[in-house]
Amino acid sequence: MSSFQELTLKLSEFWAREGCVLQQPYDLEVGAGTMHPDTFLRVLGPEPWRVAYAQPSRRPADARYGENPFRLGKHYQFQVVLKPSPPDIQQLYVDSLAAIGVDLAVHDLRFEEDNWEAPTLGAWGVGWQVMLDGMEITQFTYFQQAGGMTLDPISAEITYGLERLTMFLGLSRSVYGIDWVPGGIDYGAVRHQDEVELSRYYFEVADIGYLRAQFDGAEAEAERCLEVDLVLPAYEHALKCSHAFNVLDARGAVSVTERVALIKRVRDLAVACANGYVASRERLGFPLLPGTPEERRAAAMVEAVDGEG
Amino acid sequence: MAKGELLLEIRCEEIPARMLSAGIRGLATRLFEELMGTSLGPREVETGITPRRLVVFLKGIPEREPERDEELQGPPASAAYDAEGKPTRAAEGFAKRCGVEVEALRRVETEKGEYVVAVQHHEGRSAREVLAELIPRLILEIPWPKTMRWGEGSGPFVRPVHGVVALFEGEVVPFELLGVASGDTTVGHPRLSPEPFRVRGSADYRRKLSRRGIEVRVDRRREVLAEGMAKAAEELGGSLVEDDELLDRLAAICEVPGIVEGRFEPELLGLPREVLTTSLRDHQSALAVESDGELLPAFLTVMDRPDDPAGRVRAGNEWVVAARLEDARFFWQEDRKVALAERVDQLQNLTFHAALGSYAEKAGRIRDLADEICERLGWEVEREAAREAGLLLKADLTTEMVKEFTSLQGVMGGVYAREEGYPEAIWRAIYDQYRPTSVEDPVPNGRVGMAVAVADRIDTMVGFFGRGMKPKGSKDPFGLRRAAQGVVRILLEGGLDLDIDLVAARAARLYGERLRAEAGEVLSDLRPFFDDRVRYILGRRGFAFDEIEAGLAVGAADLPDLAARVEALHDARHESAFLSVVLAAKRILNILKGSPEYEFHAERLVEPAEKDLYDGARRLKSEVEAAEGVKDYRSSLKHIGEFAEILDRFFVEVLVMDENRDLKENRIALLQLIHRTLSRTARLTEMVVDRAEHRARSEGPETEG
Repeated sequence: MSSFQELTLKLSEFWAREGCVLQQPYDLEVGAGTMHPDTFLRVLGPEPWRVAYAQPSRRPADARYGENPFRLGKHYQFQVVLKPSPPDIQQLYVDSLAAIGVDLAVHDLRFEEDNWEAPTLGAWGVGWQVMLDGMEITQFTYFQQAGGMTLDPISAEITYGLERLTMFLGLSRSVYGIDWVPGGIDYGAVRHQDEVELSRYYFEVADIGYLRAQFDGAEAEAERCLEVDLVLPAYEHALKCSHAFNVLDARGAVSVTERVALIKRVRDLAVACANGYVASRERLGFPLLPGTPEERRAAAMVEAVDGEG
Repeated sequence: MAKGELLLEIRCEEIPARMLSAGIRGLATRLFEELMGTSLGPREVETGITPRRLVVFLKGIPEREPERDEELQGPPASAAYDAEGKPTRAAEGFAKRCGVEVEALRRVETEKGEYVVAVQHHEGRSAREVLAELIPRLILEIPWPKTMRWGEGSGPFVRPVHGVVALFEGEVVPFELLGVASGDTTVGHPRLSPEPFRVRGSADYRRKLSRRGIEVRVDRRREVLAEGMAKAAEELGGSLVEDDELLDRLAAICEVPGIVEGRFEPELLGLPREVLTTSLRDHQSALAVESDGELLPAFLTVMDRPDDPAGRVRAGNEWVVAARLEDARFFWQEDRKVALAERVDQLQNLTFHAALGSYAEKAGRIRDLADEICERLGWEVEREAAREAGLLLKADLTTEMVKEFTSLQGVMGGVYAREEGYPEAIWRAIYDQYRPTSVEDPVPNGRVGMAVAVADRIDTMVGFFGRGMKPKGSKDPFGLRRAAQGVVRILLEGGLDLDIDLVAARAARLYGERLRAEAGEVLSDLRPFFDDRVRYILGRRGFAFDEIEAGLAVGAADLPDLAARVEALHDARHESAFLSVVLAAKRILNILKGSPEYEFHAERLVEPAEKDLYDGARRLKSEVEAAEGVKDYRSSLKHIGEFAEILDRFFVEVLVMDENRDLKENRIALLQLIHRTLSRTARLTEMVVDRAEHRARSEGPETEG
C-alpha cells in the first residue's frame, strides 16, 4: 500500500513528465497551495505555465492537538497548475490516479460540482470535488478570476489532499498511522509533536497583540513595496497578513465585524499585488510567451484589444 | 434512421447535477419552438441526460420549409413607368434588387396610391440547413445558472465540450460548437467503455449505449435505482427511508447506475435519527434503512458503475460514513455539555443582521412577542412555556451540530431540549419552529409552537421592513415572503384570531432604536405584503379572486374570520337572488358616489315600494347583525339574498333622483343605510357578476324549484 512519500514522489514524477516545473513548497506560511506565488500570480496574464509542488498548508482553526484522526492544523497539498488548461486535462488527472496505484477497474470515480472561492485572494473558479468511492480526494478547478481580474487564458488547478489520499488508499483509521516511509517511520512520528505544539500555540499561547502588530506591520510593508513596484516582496507580506489573520481567528480574537474588515484588507493587498504583477510582466515583455519580445508585446496588445470587444 | 428524425448529443465534462434537468428542458423547448416557427415542427420530442451528456431526440421533422411567395413593395407606379408605360430606371433597379425580371413587376392599388410590387418566390430551406444554423445557436443560449471558460478562453458554457453528435435522418448536420465539429461518433462511459463508436440514428444510439450499460433517460435510471434500493433494503431486513429529492439527485449523478450498500457501527445508532439521516444525506448522498420505525446500521447510495468487483467501493463509502458519523457523535457529546439556557448568552456573539443586532437580542424579542401573542389569544396557561421556548428558540445556532448541518437548525434545538428534559410543549415548539417549510408541510402543532413560530417570523419581517430591506421583484434574500406565508398559514390553520398589525406594532417597539422607519410606516408597508400572502393562500384553496377581495375589503385583522366570510361568499354566489343583490349593491354604490351623508326621516317616505324597502332594510339590518354576532356568514348572506325582491321592486317603482329635493335626499339616505348593511359581511360590490350567467341562472331550471 502507498506511503505518504511515495505518493508525493509518484505525483511529482507524473506531472514532471507532463512538462510541469517541479517547484518546492513556498517558504512562508500559507493556507493553501493556491497561495504560492507560482499559482496565484502565474495564473494571471497571458503567459503559459505548468507547475507542480507539494505545499504544507496551515489551517490553524482545524488544529486538534493531535487527537482527531482526521483533522490537522497543517496538512500537505499536492498542487498542479496547467495554463492554459489542455483539452485532455480531465483524462490526465485520471491517469495521475493510475500512476499512484488507484486501479479504476475496481473503484468508483465521480466529479461533483464544487465551485471554489477565496475571498482573501479576490479569486474564484468553477469545478468539482473529485469523489473516489464516496471520498473527496481532489479539488479540481478552472480558475475564472484571481486578484479581481478575469483570467485569459484559463488555468486548471488540481489539488490533491496528500494525507487523505494516503489514508483512503490504505483505509487507515488515523492520519498518524499512515506510513511516511514505506514500511518504516509513520506520519505520527514525523508530525504528531508538531500538531500538538501548534495547536497549543494557536489556541492558547499566541499573543494577540503581537499578531495584530504583525498584521499591521506586514500590511504597511506590503504597501511600501507596492509603491516602489516590488510586487513579489509585497505579495510575501500580504501572505504574512493572511497567516496572522488565520491565527488571530483561531485564537478567537476576531469579532464578526472585524473579520469582514480584516479579510477586506488582505484582499485589497492581494488585488494590488495581482495588478502590479501583470504590469511587471508586461514591462518584461511577457518573457514566457513564444516569439521575440516585440512579437510578444504585439500579441499581448492584440489580445487586450480582442478581450475588450 | 427514420424519416424526419434528429439525434443531438452534446458531450461535456461533468455538468452539475442541479443544472441538468433545467438545461436540457431549456434546450429542447427552444428547439421545438424555433422549429415550429419555421414550419419544421417535430411530432415528438424526447430528452436524455447523464452527468456527461445532453441528448435530444426529435421525430417527424418535415424535410423542408414550405414554398412561399413574398410580395415586396417598390416605387410608386408614377415613378416606375414613363408616360408611354415603359419601365423607368427606378423600376429596373427595383426588379434587379428583388431578383426578378422587370416584366414580372405588377401594379397594385394602395391607400397611398398605385405602386409596383415584385413577387419573390422562396423554395424553403431544407431541414438540414435550418438545423445547422439553429442547433449551435440554441445550445449556446441555454440559460445555465453559472457558466465558465476554459483553455485559451473557450466558452462560455456550463463545462468544457468534448463532442457533438448531430444526425438528421442518419446524416451529420454540419456545424461547429465552441471549436468542436459535429459528427456521428460518441463514446461510452469514460472508464468502463471509453472507445469511440459511430451511430446511425436514435435507435442505433440507444441500442449501442444500452449495450454499454448506459441509460440516457433519467427517469428510467431513477426507476432502476428506486427498485434496486427497495430490494436491497428488503434484503437488509428493512425498508428505505424515502427521500425523493435525494433519489432525483442520485439518478442524475450516474450514467451506469449501480447500488452501493454499506454498514456502520450499530452503537452509532445512539445518535438521534435526525442526525443520522442528515449526515448520510448531506455528506454521503446516502439513504437510511429502517425497520419498524427504527433505523438499521446500514445505508444505500449510488456508484457510477454496475458492480463492485473488489468490494472497494463499499469499503470506501463505509470508511467515509464511519468518519462522518464519528464526527457527528463528537458534536453530539460536546454540544450536550452546554445547556441551551447557557447558549442563549453565547448568542450575543452571533449576528442576526448587522443592522438588527445579535441573536441574543432576537431571542429576547421573540420571548416578549410570544408572550404578547398568548395574552392576546387568551392563552394564559401557555404563556410561561411560550416565553421559555421563545428565549431558547435560536440557542441551537451555537451548537457544533447545527454549524455542521445547517438544515438541522430548529430540529436540533428541539432534540437537545428534549434531552435536557424540557416539557414536550417546549421542545416541540423549538423543533417545529421553521414549519411550514413548504406549501405541503404542516404548521406547528400546539399553542406554544404556533406562538413562537409566529413571533419569530413577525420579528424578522418587522426588522427587515423597518430597515428598508423589503423584497423586490424576485429578490427576497431574507425569505420574507415565505415568513409571511408561514404566519398566514399558521393563523388560518390554527384558527387564531390574532391581529398581525398589533403584534407587528409591539415587535417594532421591541426593536426600539434599531429600526430606521417609523413604526406606523412599517405597519402600512406590511399590511399589503401580508394581504398578498392571504390572496395567494386563499387562492390556492380554490377561492376566486373577487371573493377574496370582497372579504379583504371588510378587514384582515382576523384571518380565520376572513376565511369564513370568503367561504360563505363562495357558496352564496351560486344563488341567483344573491347575485341580484350584488348587482343592486353596485347600482346603489353608483347612485351614492359623490353624495354627502344625508339624514334619514322615515316619515318622508311616500311610495309603498320605498316604505317596504325601509321595513325590509330594518329587518335585514337586525338579521345581519344577529348573524354577524355569531359569525354565521352563510346565514347573513342568505338574508341578504332574500332582500333581492324588495330591492328590485324599489328600483322598478321608485325614482331615486326625484325632482323634489327632500324626497331625493331622503331616498339617498335610505340607500346609505342599506349600503352599510350590505357591506357588513363582505364588500359585495367587489364581486364580479357575469350578467349573462346571472340571467341564465335566474331563469334556468336549477333555481326554479
